[in-house]
This record gives sequence, C-alpha cells and structure tokens, in this order.
Amino acid sequence: MAKPRGTDGSLLQSLPWTMSALVIAILPHVPYLPFWITGAFLGCASWRYAVEMRRRPLPSTWTRAGLALVCFLGVWATYSSISGVGPGSALLAIMAALKLLETRRRRDQFVLLFLSIFLVMSSLLREQYIWSLPYLVGSVVVIMTAWLRMAAGEAQTTRRSFMNSGRLILYAVPIAIAMWVFFPRISTPFWAVPVDTSRATTGLSEHMSPGDISELSQSNEVAFRVTFDGPIPEPRDRYWRGLILTEFDGRSWSGSSAPIMSSRARDKIETRGDPVEYEITLEPTMQQWVIALDIPTRWSIPRTYMGRQQQLVHETPIDQRIAYELTSFSDYRIGNDLSAANRRWYSRLPEQRNPRTHQLARELRADAGTDRDFVDAVLRMLNQEEFYYTLEPPLLGSDPIDRFLFDTREGFCEHYASAFSVLMRNAGIPARIVLGYHGGEVNPLGGHLIVRQSDAHAWVEVWLDGLGWHRVDPTAAVAPERIDIGASDAALEGIGETWGFNAPSRLLHRVVMTWDAVNAKWNAWVLGYGPETQDSFMRWLGMENPNWRKMILTLVGLVVGLVMLVSVLLMLRYRPPPRDPAAILYQRFVKKSRIEPRTGETARVFALRVRETGAIPDDIVDNVTNAYLDARYGPDDEQAFKKLKRVVGTI
Amino acid sequence: MQRSTTLESVPTGRADQRAVVDEARKALGQIILGKDPQISLALACLLARGHLLIEDLPGLGKTMLAQALARVLGLSFSRIQFTSDLLPADIIGVSVFRQESGEFEFQPGPVFSQLILADEVNRATPKAQSALLEAMEEYQVSVDGSTRPLPTPFFVVATQNPGDQIGTFPLPESQLDRFLMRVEIGYPNEESERELIAGEDRRQMLKSIEPVAGPEMLIALQSSVAQVHVSDALVNYIQALARHTRESADVEIGLSPRGSQALVAAARAHAFVENHSGVYPDDVQAVFAAIAGHRLKPSGNTRFRSPAELCQHVLDSVAIP
Repeated sequence: MAKPRGTDGSLLQSLPWTMSALVIAILPHVPYLPFWITGAFLGCASWRYAVEMRRRPLPSTWTRAGLALVCFLGVWATYSSISGVGPGSALLAIMAALKLLETRRRRDQFVLLFLSIFLVMSSLLREQYIWSLPYLVGSVVVIMTAWLRMAAGEAQTTRRSFMNSGRLILYAVPIAIAMWVFFPRISTPFWAVPVDTSRATTGLSEHMSPGDISELSQSNEVAFRVTFDGPIPEPRDRYWRGLILTEFDGRSWSGSSAPIMSSRARDKIETRGDPVEYEITLEPTMQQWVIALDIPTRWSIPRTYMGRQQQLVHETPIDQRIAYELTSFSDYRIGNDLSAANRRWYSRLPEQRNPRTHQLARELRADAGTDRDFVDAVLRMLNQEEFYYTLEPPLLGSDPIDRFLFDTREGFCEHYASAFSVLMRNAGIPARIVLGYHGGEVNPLGGHLIVRQSDAHAWVEVWLDGLGWHRVDPTAAVAPERIDIGASDAALEGIGETWGFNAPSRLLHRVVMTWDAVNAKWNAWVLGYGPETQDSFMRWLGMENPNWRKMILTLVGLVVGLVMLVSVLLMLRYRPPPRDPAAILYQRFVKKSRIEPRTGETARVFALRVRETGAIPDDIVDNVTNAYLDARYGPDDEQAFKKLKRVVGTI
Repeated sequence: MQRSTTLESVPTGRADQRAVVDEARKALGQIILGKDPQISLALACLLARGHLLIEDLPGLGKTMLAQALARVLGLSFSRIQFTSDLLPADIIGVSVFRQESGEFEFQPGPVFSQLILADEVNRATPKAQSALLEAMEEYQVSVDGSTRPLPTPFFVVATQNPGDQIGTFPLPESQLDRFLMRVEIGYPNEESERELIAGEDRRQMLKSIEPVAGPEMLIALQSSVAQVHVSDALVNYIQALARHTRESADVEIGLSPRGSQALVAAARAHAFVENHSGVYPDDVQAVFAAIAGHRLKPSGNTRFRSPAELCQHVLDSVAIP
C-alpha cells in the first residue's frame, strides 16, 4: 500500500471540468435519487477540490474503502436491492463521487469521464423527452471538453477545447444519424430494462368506486394523440373505449380478474356506415388496455387481441410509447343474442345492497313499456330532476348508489355510470361500464387530436334486444355541455375567466398547442421510430424486402463511407508546412541516431545526447549539426546545403 | 571620469569585430568569475541597443558587472545610487545661476554618461524613476524647456534587490518593458568563489584592465548585430513561442509583438556573441528567459514558482520548426 502523497495541484486545470461533466451527468438522476446521495456527491467533489487546492494528501485507502462500504450499505438500505434502474444509478452516482477521492492521475480522470457518459446514457432508461436530445448533446460537449482539457492540458485554452469538442461532435453527427436510421429495430428486444415499480400507473384505474372519491384530480398529462386520415369526428362521437367493468359488489366496480381472449368477440360485430381510419400514439400506461375509438375492426399492433367485451388487450403492460393504426366504426351493432347465463351474469347484483335503488328501478320498469322506454325514463329522470355534475362530490358511505340517487345527487361521470348501471341491472337489463376517454382537443398546428388524462370518462353499455350492446352516456343527460365540448376545452375557458381577460389565455393556448405539435411530431418520428416505421422508411428509401442483414450492411457501408469522407475533408483542410530540404536531410541523421528529439530540444542539445549514445561518431555528429544549423538558419543556403548533403552522406 | 576612447580605426570586417567581442568576453570573465552565460547575455543586451536590469540579492556582483562592462567597452560611466529622497534633478542636473556672467548655466547630472548604473532602482520614488526611464526611452532629457541629447551610445544598467519589500517602489510592468533584458546573477560556483576569496581584489583588477573597444566600435558592432541573418524557420519558431505564451493557461498576459521584436533583437546579438552563422534556436532559447521573464504575467493558479521556471516550461512545450 502506497503512503498517501500530497497532491501537487497539477489537476487544478482539468479537475473542475471533470467535475462539471460528472455534475451534468448526474443532474437528470437527481430528482430520483435519495437526498443523501446527492449530498454525498457534492461533499466528495468539494472535498476533492479542496485537497487539490491546498496540496493536501488524498484520503487513505482505508478511509476510501470504509466510505465505499458505507455507501454500498446505504444504497442497499434505501432500496433494499442493488439491481434495477433506481439502485443502479444511485450506486453509479455514489461510486463516481468516491472515485473522485482517489483521482490522482489522468487515467483516473478517464475513468470518471467514462462514468459520466454511462450516467448520461442511463438517464435515458428512465425517460425520453424532447429535451433529452439537447441535454444529451450538451452533456457530451461538456464531457468532450473535459476530455480535451485533460489531454491537451495548458497547451490549449478552454475556448479552444470547447470549440474542438463541438467540432468533433459535428463530425460524428452524420454517423449518429446513419446509426439511428439503419440500426435494425427489433420488436422484441433481447434485453429488458428493469423498470422502476415505484412508478405510478397513470391512466385508467381497473376499479371504480365513485363513492370513495371526494375530489377528482385533473391531470393535464397527455394520454394519447390521434391522427385521423379523414375528417375528425364530432366531439360528441369521440368515445375512446378502454376497459370494461362488469362486477359490482355494492360499492365498487371491477373488471373480470383477467381479460379473456375471445375469438368470437370480433365476429359479433356488425358494422354499418363509413369506417374511420386513424393512428393513435399511446403514452405508456403500464396497463394492458389498448385504447380505440368505439369498436375497432382492424388494429396494427402486434400481440394484441380483442377481449370478450370487444376491448383491445395487449399481452403485456404497455411500458413504452406505442403508435398503431386502426379502423373503427362509430355505427355498429354488437351481438344478436345473449345467452341466458350471460344475461344473468351481466345483471348480477349483490344481495341487500342499495335497497332504495332496487325499489326505484322496479317502479320505473313497471311504468315503462319496454326496456328502451325504461332507459329513456331513467335518462329523463337524471336530466329533469335535481342532479348536478361536479368534480368535488360528497362521500357516499356504505350504500353509495342509494345515497347518490336520493340524497346527494352530485357527482361526475363515474357516479352517473355506476348508478345508471345499477338501475339497469335491478330491472334485469344487462349492463356494463366502459372506462375510457371522451372528446379530446384538436391541435390546429399538428392537425391531430390530443386526449389528456382529464378527458377520462365512464359510460354504460346496456343490452337491448334487437340492438345488442348499446352505448348510453348518463353523464350526457346531466351535463350535456361536458359531452359537447369536452373536458379540456371547459378547463381552458376557466383559465380565461380566472385571469379576467382573454388575450393571455389565447397566447398561452397557442404556446401549449405549438409545444404539443412539436412533441407529437417528435414522438411520431423520433421516439416512435420502431420496427414498423423503420420497415416502411426502408421501403420508401427503395430497399426491397428490408431485413436486418440488409440494414446492417447499409449501415456499415455508410459509416465507413462517412468516416472516409470526414478523413478526406480533414486531410484536404490540413496543409502540412512545406518541408525544408535541410530539415529532410537532418531527419535522416535523427533516424540514424535511434533516439527521438524532445519537444523544444535544439539541434545542439540533441547532438550532445547523440554523442552520449555513441551510435554515430562524435565528429560526424558535430559536422552534421553545424552544417544543418548553417543550412537551416544561416544566410548562405546554397553552400551550406551542399555541405550538409555531403556530411549526411558520411554517416 | 570622461574618457576619450577614439580608436584609430574601427574594424568593419566580421572577423575583426568577432575578435573584439571575444576579447571583451574574456576580460569580463576575468573579473566576474564563473558567470559566462550572464556575461554573454549582458554583452548581447548592450549589442542589441537595450537596457539591462540586473535583479539579485546584494553582494552577488551586480555593480561589479556594470562597472566592468563600462570599463571593458571603454564607455564613460556614472553611478546613481537610488534612494527614497532622490530627486529628478539629482539625475538630470540643474541650472545654476552664475554671478559673474549673470546667466544660468546647466550643470549636467550623472545621466550624461554613456553607461549609467542605476543602483537599487526600486528604492527611489516613482518620480525619480520616471526621470531615468524617460531618458532611457527618448535618449534625451528636457531641462528648463530645452532638450539636451544624451551621449551615444547610451546604456542604463539598473539593479534591483528582489528581497527588499519595505519602502520600495517596484517598477510596474509597463516600465519593466523598457528594459530589454532582466538577468539574475546567482551565487558563484565553489571554484569561482574560492578564487574570489583567495585571489586579487576585483576592484583593483578592474582598474588594471584595458578597454578593448570604444563608443565608435560599439556602434559598429551594433549595426553588424542588426544584420545577423534570421531565417524563415526561426521567425516561425519565435511566432510559435509567442503564440504559446498567449494561449497557455499558465500565462495571463502573453508576449506582446514588442516582446517578439525584443526576442529577435536579443537573439541576434547573442548569435553574434556566440559567432553563429545566423540566429539559431539555441540563441533564442538562451535569451528567452531574460527577455520574457519580466514581460509575461503568470496566471494566478500557475504551478511555476519563478518566471525562469515558467519560461523553461514554454521552451520545453514548443517544437522547433
């Protein structure tokens, strides 16, 4: 074990840069890292810098080993695991900080810069946004600058290093683009990134118990974006089906435990009217549900099937953004008849819950002639009696439907869908709840539709003889405006009102829309560049039957070509200084001497060293050196050059 | 003190001039022992028409070097001891009223000599310093509204004691720039010191030494020095050195174009003293620390402890073309 030596301040030049590179690499991790790791990182960095400033020795091996052990155990204690993105990046960050404490030489700084690059890359495992690209480029510029600062040392100004790093990255851009375009995309990756389980699932909940929610938080996050091939359907017709809830326990609704694949579900659909062709870019939901407009008949998303209730289900949870094309029909009929067993199943209700509702349903059904009349009667009741639409409903207690229908009469879509279904089931009409989205906002710049989490909606499908499963939206009976303009527009109007004037909200709106359009394009073209997009892009480029072999070959060819192009450009730009004939002759002497002149070593000093080696006789060394100096630096070039030629010949 | 040193003929041939220079070096080497590089630099400085700043601790032979230079080169010599109460008139001279003629008569000060030794120049006030520095720059002095030219050649050899901190007025960078070279003398080696202790008194020796040249000779040598060949390769080298000082992170203020000119002039003189066919990179390296040492401003966090170390680092980092 070497005794700790004092630092000599020689790293003062490059250390701040190496540290900045590390800091920039860690920045995107900071929101996810426990506080103590960020603190420890900053502490180690300042410690190391202070050590260099004061020329003090680095901490001893034992101290460092102890710290490493403590930090390792700390990560273990925080995450109770050391694998996965979270603990992995925490370990990487803390070990990089500790590595600073033993950074003594250039080699250690190389390791640190490699670590920075790795940290930057690992931040992409967490999330990829549009600003990830500028961040990546910026951090690579800084890391490269740090690299050059370290390699070139004081021979280069900071500005020069910065420019050089920018130039190097510019040279690399065409190669990076070629790699991105041609590297074969595989639909099933060989590797799986362990995703943080702590990440909350956004999107539709698989349970629904309206009575337990007193305040619905409005999330403005984008759920998905839609591009229509034809005109965009009217707001009232934009029902995006997600999942179906069929079981009711008196208090909350849930779906059947696992979605059952049904080959007959697709066959039961009878379509009428014109199809709607569109493409959906769905944000990751960590759920298996695939959103579609009404009833889809065709979907271009692999490993996805139609469940028994005509919902689309993906085999695995959707953990990355996907884009898929669909064909849907808004005018449709599902099923001709329902078996008695199914009829019972869809009308099941728990015993002795919500008795008043039961009573009401029986009365209304008795008054109505047919099932259809009964549906209309209930809707009429919701519409004409004192029911209110609110996002902040009161809590409902143990018999929530009773309390809602008879006492509070305030709620949002879930309350109405739930109450409506219970009423239907009490009258023996099969009913199921559909969770999905309704409406969406048209982005005039991108021409696409944005559907946000705040557009989430619940409605009901009831079985009516002759009509099959028929969509009924009880919320529309209570708050028609909610259905006609959609939740997002309503929220935006609110902004204008609270601000008291309209102009800023319009401007804000435009900014929001522009940003969304840019994001949508980015998602579609960059992040969504998957196997299908690549395949069609290759075909567009003229590649027949694209496969990974062809793409790899093209890629290799392109990269080699680009590297050669850049090399040729660099060679053309580089003009070697014209070689002096005397210098060329002298070079022969240098070669014969078998030793290399040092930087800044004059011919005379070099001659002394050559004499020491004894490789060339002393008098020849002196003759050549003097003749060279005369020829190269003296006034009489012609004569001196001849002499140099002669004496070099004698070696 | 005025000495007439008109030699019967001033040699113009290179060989003859070289002989004079060698003789001068030899004579100086007898008095200042074991300091050949410093002697070469001092001679080169005068041959390049530059003023010399000698900076070192007391007792290392600063004054002796200046006196020996004057003696050997046959120049009129005067010494001004700079003190904090020194007035400009003490340097330049004063006009005295003559009763008998009823007129003012100018009494020239010590500055009217060919070689001035400004001893401990940093101890005088800036006012007195500037009187000397103006003379160095203009080769003339203004007294009572009239301009009086200084003798030719005119050299200032200033000494400065780096150890003194209290009660001194260090020369600012802009004034340091007026000195072509700054040299440090350093302790003598053992052998030389032994001879100094045991041998003849150097002051006595100085009196017995005969001048080897005179003012005319010196002027002739100076014009020969200005004609020493400078090749393109060497210009490239000097440019590379200057560029490095400007781009290096260790240097805050790099070499100015005037500094590059000074470097060429001094390297020419050094090549002449060393009898080189043209200016060699060795000449540039030999004078570089003396030229650049007081012109470069090291940056705050540099790891070099002295200007000489910094200059050596610059030389070691720039390839010779």
